Amino acid sequence: MVTLELPLSRLRDGESGVIISIDMASRRDANQHHRRRWGFRKRLEDMGLTPGTKVTVVKSAPFHGPKELQVRGSRLAIGRGMAERIMVRVESWPSEESS
Amino acid sequence: MAKRRIIIALAGNANVGKSVIFNHLTGMHQHIGNWPGKTIEKADGTLHFKGYTIDIVDLPGIYSLSTFSIEELISREYIAIEKPDFVINVIDSSVLERNLFFTLQLIELETPLIVALNQMDMAKKKGIQIDHKKLEDVLGVPVVPTIAPNQVGIYELLDKVISLIEKGDSIPSPVKYGEEIEERIEKLSSLLEKLDIPYPARWIAIKLLERDEQIESRVRQIDSKVLSKVKELAQEIEGIHKHSCSTVITSERYEIAGCIAREVQEIVPPSKLPLRERLHTLTTHRVSGYLVMVLALLLVFLAIFTFGDYTSGLLNGVLYGLKPLFDSVFGVGIVATLVWGGILEGLIAGTTIALPYLLPFYLMQYILEDSGYLSRIAFLMDNLMHKMGLHGKAFIPVMLACGCNVPACLGCRIMETDRERLIATFVVTLVPCAATSVVILGLVGSFVGVQWALLLYIIDLVIIFLLGRIAFKALPGEPTGLIMEMHDYRIPHGKTVLKQTWFRLKEFIKMAFPLIVAGTFVIKLVDLLGWLQPITYMLSPVTVGWLGLPAVTGITLIFGVLRKELTLIMLATLLGTSDFATVPGFGPIQMFVFALVAMLYIPCISTIGALLRELGWRKAAVITVFEIAFAIVVGGVAYRLLLLVGI
Repeated sequence: MVTLELPLSRLRDGESGVIISIDMASRRDANQHHRRRWGFRKRLEDMGLTPGTKVTVVKSAPFHGPKELQVRGSRLAIGRGMAERIMVRVESWPSEESS
Repeated sequence: MAKRRIIIALAGNANVGKSVIFNHLTGMHQHIGNWPGKTIEKADGTLHFKGYTIDIVDLPGIYSLSTFSIEELISREYIAIEKPDFVINVIDSSVLERNLFFTLQLIELETPLIVALNQMDMAKKKGIQIDHKKLEDVLGVPVVPTIAPNQVGIYELLDKVISLIEKGDSIPSPVKYGEEIEERIEKLSSLLEKLDIPYPARWIAIKLLERDEQIESRVRQIDSKVLSKVKELAQEIEGIHKHSCSTVITSERYEIAGCIAREVQEIVPPSKLPLRERLHTLTTHRVSGYLVMVLALLLVFLAIFTFGDYTSGLLNGVLYGLKPLFDSVFGVGIVATLVWGGILEGLIAGTTIALPYLLPFYLMQYILEDSGYLSRIAFLMDNLMHKMGLHGKAFIPVMLACGCNVPACLGCRIMETDRERLIATFVVTLVPCAATSVVILGLVGSFVGVQWALLLYIIDLVIIFLLGRIAFKALPGEPTGLIMEMHDYRIPHGKTVLKQTWFRLKEFIKMAFPLIVAGTFVIKLVDLLGWLQPITYMLSPVTVGWLGLPAVTGITLIFGVLRKELTLIMLATLLGTSDFATVPGFGPIQMFVFALVAMLYIPCISTIGALLRELGWRKAAVITVFEIAFAIVVGGVAYRLLLLVGI
């Protein structure tokens, strides 16, 4: 069993992980204002995606669409861009994750 | 006899059945308007109960009380500053944890509070049993279980509120955070108690630690020294938890909500997968989801426009049928012409748009929204909408705009932030509506060729994507992606949907009709005064010089402001023929350019009315002026290109 840290967007359907952090320093966002990041993170956290929370990816919409999550007993849809910045910890067997 | 007038506010997450409770409470005594200075809908109503006159204010459905959206800001300001006598927090018992997160924030606002534990039937179906007595004890807030559509618990709720108001002192005691945070909150709130801010000191302290911008700037104006203390305390907390202070506080709040939820509820999942779950899977599936969506949307579209076209035609026939009667009574003098052409025709134009199209549109929108299907469509279409600077939720208004821009503009309020709403509304006004299609197909399609008509649509699509992207990049504020709850499917409450439709329609009529009538009046007046000829002359540098069109098109474009199909009808009238192919100087190139300009140049007067209502006059004016200028520029460029390429 190994522990991996990866963005939520990389979880496959049916996989679960525990949120570690909401990563604001992603490359695409590097030259944007600080204030924007605050609001962005706040929004995700207000919807229940706080560090330590378990999330399960139920399914993903095609063409890099949003992901459906099961979190805190409710169902959320979250866009790909946002899912890319949520870091989660996943425990998996080495054979399953070759990358 | 009214003993006293009291105000009760309804607060809660989106889709918890708040509006159903609101409708049960207020019946037909409600009013839909906007929050002062904001373009966010405000619904209020009045009822009489046990000698009290009670005003009910329905606050927007939100998930938190931070400054993410205008709705959140409005709600917290309303509760803290307007101080309603009581707040009813409607919560969805089938998603208890998320709902309690919001309840905890209401408790922090130190307002008299009661919880309506709604949708108990839905919870039961999901195998969730909630001990409401226990919830009451743990929260320290009175709890009344309700099933809004069946009116269960509504009377008890009101009864309880009245008895609590008569007893006085219903402010719940605050939620306690972890010791290391609590200690710092107390330190900070003792510093804040002397400050003159209309919020509870403890609440300000928490918000400052959460780095709430709005509160920060308010405190800075009064006492900026406090902020350095805030920074110091926040850093201490961050040192302990290794997360930003705002994250720590939000996490703790959710922890508390989760603990309470686990303590009071028992979940025995049903053994069989219920129908609504299977429906959810079907409608979000990568193949069947899209199939169902296309079918459903076609059906909605057909329903709206079959009904719309039929009723619109009928109304037109009936209303214009009154013309001979009008003439025989008032004669055909100048005043009578002005009254008919300037005022009554405006009313007719408004009526034939508002009633036939808006009525079914609102109905469909509420059904889609309340049932939960709208969020599934947003889920499926999110990626495409991102390409035009929007996200999934904007799909419905953009699609409906192909029929009529007016309901589409009004539908843009499902977007969360001001910024998103502005981009969506802007994009919507660029979508060719049914009337624009009449011009495109009737002129270019019939006289130039179907492929050229198609080209016009493609050009429009490209423009939409381009301008949407530009608006997305250029507008200030925070770009946001899609994040939404997909609540369980349920059957919409018929009466509530009907009432919502009716009151929204009434509100639109009040707002847009004066503008429509005024616009019609001005154009008719100009016509009667014989100014059309000089105006045509004045416009000729643009129409003839730049766009290469015959001079008469100037007038038709002016009339097109009223309704876009008028550009074509007027053109036929002025040219004296509807066989445009025979008109000299109006060849294929001119037809194409004319249709292009008509497609882009201005939202019609009813759409401007809708823009005004949704965005305020300044933004409505900017969009209108921009689109005129844009259409002229694009038209001129297209003219020159076509001269080179030829048709």
